[in-house]
Amino acid sequence: MTRFLLISVLSILFFSCKSYQIANAVKKEVPVSDYKNPYFSNPEIDYVYKAHIEVYGNQLSGLFIAKRINDTLHRVVFTTDFGNKLLDFELSEKELKVNYIMEDLDRKMIVNTLRDDFRLLLKTNHKVQEVFENEEYVIYKLADAKRFNYFYESKKDNQLIKLVNASKRKEKVIFEFESKNSTFAKYITIQHKNIKLKIELNQISN
Amino acid sequence: MKRNVFLVFLFMMSLTFFAQEQKMSASEIAVFKATVEKETKTIKSLKTDFIQYKHLDFLSKDIETSGKMYFKQPNLLNWQYTKPYQYSIVFKNNKVYINDQGNKSTVDAKSKMFEKINKLIVGSVSGNMFDDKEFSIAYFKNKDSYIAKLTPKTATIKKYINQVDLYFPMNDATVSQVKLIEPSGDFTRIVFKNKQLNVKVDDSFFTN
Repeated sequence: MTRFLLISVLSILFFSCKSYQIANAVKKEVPVSDYKNPYFSNPEIDYVYKAHIEVYGNQLSGLFIAKRINDTLHRVVFTTDFGNKLLDFELSEKELKVNYIMEDLDRKMIVNTLRDDFRLLLKTNHKVQEVFENEEYVIYKLADAKRFNYFYESKKDNQLIKLVNASKRKEKVIFEFESKNSTFAKYITIQHKNIKLKIELNQISN
Repeated sequence: MKRNVFLVFLFMMSLTFFAQEQKMSASEIAVFKATVEKETKTIKSLKTDFIQYKHLDFLSKDIETSGKMYFKQPNLLNWQYTKPYQYSIVFKNNKVYINDQGNKSTVDAKSKMFEKINKLIVGSVSGNMFDDKEFSIAYFKNKDSYIAKLTPKTATIKKYINQVDLYFPMNDATVSQVKLIEPSGDFTRIVFKNKQLNVKVDDSFFTN
């Protein structure tokens, strides 16, 4: 019995120790220093999306609104369908200014999760650490605190398709993008792996 | 030259004059309230189109959504967005039924929050808000509308809303426009169009 337990524990350890790997990818030796995420980069555009949030079985719906204010700052607002604000953040690389947050949402864990998701989603310029490629994608790897971000750019049309936030071993958050052109994402999903949270954004024309 | 400046000045004066809101007198308020209250009592059902403009100062353009609203006494309400997406919310028997582009869900509406939303929406459209203990009200008029400006009294509502402006066209005792102003100054403006009072509204309009 003990032995069986030991084996299972060991095998769990063994399997979970596998580091995050990109399928069939080889490292590219081309030095690229910057990666530009184009989807929220134009300060002229009001980015307006219909949002669905699924969090631990609860459904939330509303509008997600983002705007690039200057080189390093984005404003992001989430409202109900009726238009009343649920949250209003100003986000830069290091700072978060909460202009407003509805009382029910004002929990450290919620604020931090949304801050990190929105920051990664909106930030335009990223410092690249390594570049990989496989048949379909060029993958830009960036260090981000204790984690890593992987930007998957399709080789076919140079569009950003996927963004994976991962620890050394595991995927933590996966962003997926569908776009008509390479500068505007019309459909975005943000899927968390360690908490039951999924955010879907559908562009509405404004 | 002097004369031109004077003319421009005069023109601007008249513009501000027309745009300006004046406080209503006590007797005007009494007549206005009586008219609206009388009209409200006759409302059995209501059907209207609406356009919603969400104004956020940092955006270059207001966000426009639109749809239809159905109301039937005593407390059936369907608020339905049709553009640019389908989303409807039905208030019925203390429950809230949401249909979000085919995705259906139900929320228990016993919560104070939903009760207040329901009351605010129905009250806004019908104009039946004057006896509300939640708001203090100031009355104004401009050249084509009476305007009731509601300021919340309770801390709970004050957190969300700074002021609600209800516009009543002079020839109509029901609301044509609602403006919900947030503490930040950003606001939501809802304009009602093609309003029909007391036409048959089938119960099927309140299933979601």
